[in-house]
Amino acid sequence: MEPWQKKHILGIKDLTREEMETIFKIAHSFRELSQREVKKAPALRGKTIVNLFFENSTRTKISFELAGKRLSADVLNFSSNMSSLNKGETIVDTIKNLESYHPDILVIRIGYSHSLINLSQYTSASIVNAGDGSNEHPTQCLLDMFTVQQEKGALEDLRVLIVGDIMHSRVARSNIFGFQKFNSRVSVCAPPTLIPYDFEKLGVEIHDDLDQALKEADVVIMLRIQKERQQESFFPSIREYVENFSLTPERLKKAKKDCLILHPGPVNWDVEISSQLKEIVHPLILKQVENGLAVRMAVLYLVGTRKREYEISD
Amino acid sequence: MDTYKEKTPLLSDADIKRILLRLAHQVLEKNTHAEQLVFIGIQTRGVYLAQRLQKIVKELEGIEIPLGILDITLYRDDLTTVSEVPLVKETKIPCDLKNRIVILIDDVLFTGRTIRAALDEIMDFGRPHRIELLVLIDRGHRELPIRADFVGKNIPTAKNELVEIRLKEIDGKDEAVILRKKR
Amino acid sequence: MKLAIRNAHIVNHDKKIRGDILIHNNRIETVGEVREKVDKEIDAQGKYVLPGFIDLHTHLRSPGREDTEDLYSGSRAAAKGGFTTIFCMPNTTPALDNEGLAQWITEQARSIGLVDIYPVGAISKGRQGKELTEFGGLKKAGCLSLSDDGDSLKNSSLMRRAIEYAKMFGLLIISHCEDKTLSAGGVMREGAISSKYGIRGIPCASEAIMVFRDIELTRYLNARIHIAHISTQRSVEIIRAAKAQGVNVTCETAPHYMILTDHDVEANNFHGNWKVNPPLGSHEDRAALTRALAEGVIDCIATDHAPHSEEEKNLPFEEAPCGFIGLEWAFALSYTGLVKKKVLTLGQLVEKMSYNPARIAGFSDKGYIRPENTADMVIVDLDCPEKIERTDIVSKSKNSPFLGREVQAKVVCTIHQGKVVYRAG
Repeated sequence: MEPWQKKHILGIKDLTREEMETIFKIAHSFRELSQREVKKAPALRGKTIVNLFFENSTRTKISFELAGKRLSADVLNFSSNMSSLNKGETIVDTIKNLESYHPDILVIRIGYSHSLINLSQYTSASIVNAGDGSNEHPTQCLLDMFTVQQEKGALEDLRVLIVGDIMHSRVARSNIFGFQKFNSRVSVCAPPTLIPYDFEKLGVEIHDDLDQALKEADVVIMLRIQKERQQESFFPSIREYVENFSLTPERLKKAKKDCLILHPGPVNWDVEISSQLKEIVHPLILKQVENGLAVRMAVLYLVGTRKREYEISD
Repeated sequence: MDTYKEKTPLLSDADIKRILLRLAHQVLEKNTHAEQLVFIGIQTRGVYLAQRLQKIVKELEGIEIPLGILDITLYRDDLTTVSEVPLVKETKIPCDLKNRIVILIDDVLFTGRTIRAALDEIMDFGRPHRIELLVLIDRGHRELPIRADFVGKNIPTAKNELVEIRLKEIDGKDEAVILRKKR
Repeated sequence: MKLAIRNAHIVNHDKKIRGDILIHNNRIETVGEVREKVDKEIDAQGKYVLPGFIDLHTHLRSPGREDTEDLYSGSRAAAKGGFTTIFCMPNTTPALDNEGLAQWITEQARSIGLVDIYPVGAISKGRQGKELTEFGGLKKAGCLSLSDDGDSLKNSSLMRRAIEYAKMFGLLIISHCEDKTLSAGGVMREGAISSKYGIRGIPCASEAIMVFRDIELTRYLNARIHIAHISTQRSVEIIRAAKAQGVNVTCETAPHYMILTDHDVEANNFHGNWKVNPPLGSHEDRAALTRALAEGVIDCIATDHAPHSEEEKNLPFEEAPCGFIGLEWAFALSYTGLVKKKVLTLGQLVEKMSYNPARIAGFSDKGYIRPENTADMVIVDLDCPEKIERTDIVSKSKNSPFLGREVQAKVVCTIHQGKVVYRAG
């Protein structure tokens, strides 16, 4: 296997299929580590990871924090609300400031789409994207695909349907690029107001009829709906949204029997997914969380143990 | 990448068979309470050697000794300098190690660094009563104060040589050879 | 004081001759052959002499952001780019919305004396879009045109009043066309690229809607309007149709819209240096704009010179301010991108950068090299490949999407009111 070369994990866009497969392989072995009595290995001992969260997040932060700790890295958490910062100038200042501590990996969650590549010039650390605006959330995609790989055995030639707020979703974008790299066909289903302009140019099929779209899907990713979108008139009411886009027992009957239902969490029950389906869909959603830890450990491990001399060619 | 050329065959398949039988006897001789034993093979070839020893013991004594698999990648002290992706393989410890006697099994004992990593990893699984080390070949050049309790064969080597054990399970045949670096 | 330029290719928009130019003080005296003895001579052998460029659209940041540009640095940048007359937009702090401030700019510019600077007065007080400014006072202080550039007047009724009221003073209304309810939050052109990266886009309809509204008001009121920095194919089509129907509308575009597209934004990783408003468009927009320029639908090239500090431009794309500096390489870029590629002839480029802006602004003695006209001209070398370097920037703003780009022409000398105000090093 080729040495791992990527210094940063900024998006699925920049990863090759081979690199994604390596991450899945490593993640697989990390699932076992988390079942040991001592759930810890010294792979990243002496490394410093900073979780730099400029946007609220509990789940992703916890997952990255635990991933770093299981690999024995020193993990620092820095959270700051972007609105309390002075226009992002201090984002650069914050990164420069942290640079004095010589961190090895910065895990960054930020509200600005595709902003990390430009921020990377202010640090010598590797940057792992934990969600940048509406651009990408690569580890979420990796854990989704890792889960699908476990359940389906393979990632090729699947029909993947993503339902919900496609426009503002970094999860949707990462999954589109990810599944497409494995020759799977991705469709999106949402009210037209929540489909980005010219989106079909990314090679996705666009639907607004969930019943129809569900029929052929092997994997369905239900996205979380932010209630604020209603105030911005992307749809007139949650009620009407639910009527057309919520996954209900009746709708699920139209899907294939072995269709997987994923959700990046936390689920708004009875909005994206009917609570009557809780027993059916929740186990897999919880498995996603578990896989998220393994995938994030894999990413930190690969980036953190990357051979330093490759830095020159970056 | 260094390239090596074949130099001398060290052990034949018959030699290996004989050595393993002797080693099994030695282990049993030293450890009278065989039910306390656990065999843990280090990935990759240590695992197959452990399997064979387990089988021999079963034939000799009729006891099935629990078999563990250990991958020491995450415990390596050279993780950031190795040239390939340090791929993490399976680790499987079959039982609680508390008060057990662990026979740690590897093919070649060289610098001792792998064994150091394995010892650390085993400790993270619990507190065995004792750990003993079994190797097929000890080629010297230790960099750490580590010695084997059971040695199949001591073979003096030069530092630029490579001792390679080949096993039927993955290499198609049983043999041990010395390879020397091409100039 | 008599100055002669000898052995030049003299290029007006409609005519090219070889010969000499005699300048007496600040006026052109002879074009053709100059025999008499003069005080000073410039040998323009192999070079081209064009009427000084006129830029209807710059931001000189004074008062308020003199750290990014001021009237002096802006004048130097203009002179270096071959501009002899520039208009500066009123989106300063405070806004240029009263006679006193306009007067101050006019006087400052005169004392600097490198180029003519005409302040553009704000249409509404504080550029707030609520009440009209005193157009008469602004005119007295030297304004020839009015604009709330940076914003459209949201209130169509107020825009109507502005267009009507400006008639009385013969002032030109320059309209920045953007429906901010549509573009709000957007930072680049909405399209496949913005969608791919989850970046909020500005639909091209945002510009077109306002272009249409302002043209419709102009037609209705039988008035005149100038549309600033058009950037989309749709705007071109609307203006083309209006012109065909006899509406008195003129418009400008900037060199960057004819060179860069949203693909360049992507290729440069969404660095703030590629952020501008109106945003860089699609390949189709770029093609439509260059075609419209050649066909005369677009009357002139303006730079929309908009300096910003490097600190601000290095902010994340969504926070970085909009705008590029443009004065220094407008001609070099346009020549390389349009004349060299045979979109325009050299004469047409002179028309877009000198002759037409002079007509639109109402100067009868500028934009053409002939006896009696103001001696504003620029000498250019059309065979001088060079790279745009940061260290060559004289504007206070040291960033540009064009850094590192190769251009084929160079301004070697700028003459303003008969005086040499710039000479290439």
